[in-house]
Amino acid sequence: MQESNSMNIDFDVIGLSAKAASGEAPLFTGDGRLEKLLGITLSIATELAVTRERLDTVERLLDRSGVLDRESIEQFQPDDGAVAERNTLHEDYLARVFRVLR
Amino acid sequence: MSSIEHWTRMGRHELVPEVKHDEAARLTVIAHLNAFLSGRVAPAVKSHYENKVRPEFVSSRGHEPADRQDVAEAMEADPFYQVWSTLRRNTMEMRQQAGRGIVLRQAAELADKARTLNSNAATLRLNPELRLPEYVAHGDQHLMPGGYAGELLNGDVSGPANYDIGLFATMRGMAGPWNDLAGHTLVSWLQKSHPDFKPKRILDLGCGLGHNTLPLREAFPEAEIVAIDVAAPMLRYGHARAQSLGVKDVHFIQADATATGLEADGFDLVFTTMVLHETSAEALSGIFSECHRLVRDGGLVAHLEQPPYRRFEPFEQFMRDWDGRNNNEPFWTSLHELSLPDELINAGFDADAVFEADAVAPGCDQSGGAEDFGRAPKWYVVGAQSVIKSAVN
Repeated sequence: MQESNSMNIDFDVIGLSAKAASGEAPLFTGDGRLEKLLGITLSIATELAVTRERLDTVERLLDRSGVLDRESIEQFQPDDGAVAERNTLHEDYLARVFRVLR
Repeated sequence: MSSIEHWTRMGRHELVPEVKHDEAARLTVIAHLNAFLSGRVAPAVKSHYENKVRPEFVSSRGHEPADRQDVAEAMEADPFYQVWSTLRRNTMEMRQQAGRGIVLRQAAELADKARTLNSNAATLRLNPELRLPEYVAHGDQHLMPGGYAGELLNGDVSGPANYDIGLFATMRGMAGPWNDLAGHTLVSWLQKSHPDFKPKRILDLGCGLGHNTLPLREAFPEAEIVAIDVAAPMLRYGHARAQSLGVKDVHFIQADATATGLEADGFDLVFTTMVLHETSAEALSGIFSECHRLVRDGGLVAHLEQPPYRRFEPFEQFMRDWDGRNNNEPFWTSLHELSLPDELINAGFDADAVFEADAVAPGCDQSGGAEDFGRAPKWYVVGAQSVIKSAVN
């Protein structure tokens, strides 16, 4: 009788998941650096979309359980304090993301 | 023609791995990415070709692009096409990473579950002595590390599990909650083109997970069905999947489609769904000869694939050839350049019996609509019907 595997396996799941398939990867743009940048950007875009979907789930669950009315998000008007803090937040954020443009 | 929906709507049999919230979201996002790249950006690639690349080619060469190779030369140097291609390739790599991340953390549990579902089943026959054909042993088909037959542990089914959960993302949900649209399309085509055909014995060559086999069981409840593949992990998973879905009588056998070892004149229907392009020129002729040997008098052989390139203008050929160049599909290009009817005749089928047809997925619009460059839910069917076997040895 075949022994169960369950206790015996210790994969590097993160490493193995990222493993490339065999074969030479194509170089479409002729510049590997550009293609890596495109790949990184695409992955970030994907992760942002995943995060937005999780946020959507959280909102719906909060709404359903009466903690938060989703409509109140749409109706929300930031007061002067919140506006000021948000402006700083946005300036700071853009300065970090676009640091290289200086 | 838009599908997608959401990964959480996929069918669940007992071997479907645990997929967490964000993992399901990621596969759904990747499905959307594929839909975006093929549905919105590919048409822009085409416009770009018509408005810029082609006129520039004509200007500098003094003639229109004559063939796919001329188009390739012009387009491969074009930045818009280059960026689209990079994103398309990356989307496939992301799909693999996403799927593998899910299955590898539970590979041992999946193997155990398969073992339990398959225990003592006479309907699963593996052959550890079978020599894997080159095209399966090497090449990490469509960027799956390990390919169809790779095994990371005893009784591994993580590869097929990855295939099962990720096909939704690659096919943008079009294959349906059970990934079986091709099988249903074959059935629908049979019902339309051969309404009186009631096969008693059916053979699926290169069955993989058996996802396109089970629709034949549904359509022909009385038939005996045999499904073969060279890859043990696929068969383990496919058999367990079928058991879980209450289909206990499909035989899953590890065998090579060029030499199955099954009895001659044994089947009324022999078919493949999106398998031929994964083989090789040599294997193709062997598979067709084996089909001829296996099919009975009056029987039907049907192979579902993408249509041959000769039907299309050079630009569309070029776009349809993308997977052949960039997705670890080494036989894709050649397969679509061949005349499969001629290959069938070479394998022994009468020219009168050989046919070509188009099969649209049931419930889908027959009319043109936007160009799909091979992404729409329709297939080319090539084979032989009302086969007459001459008296042989």
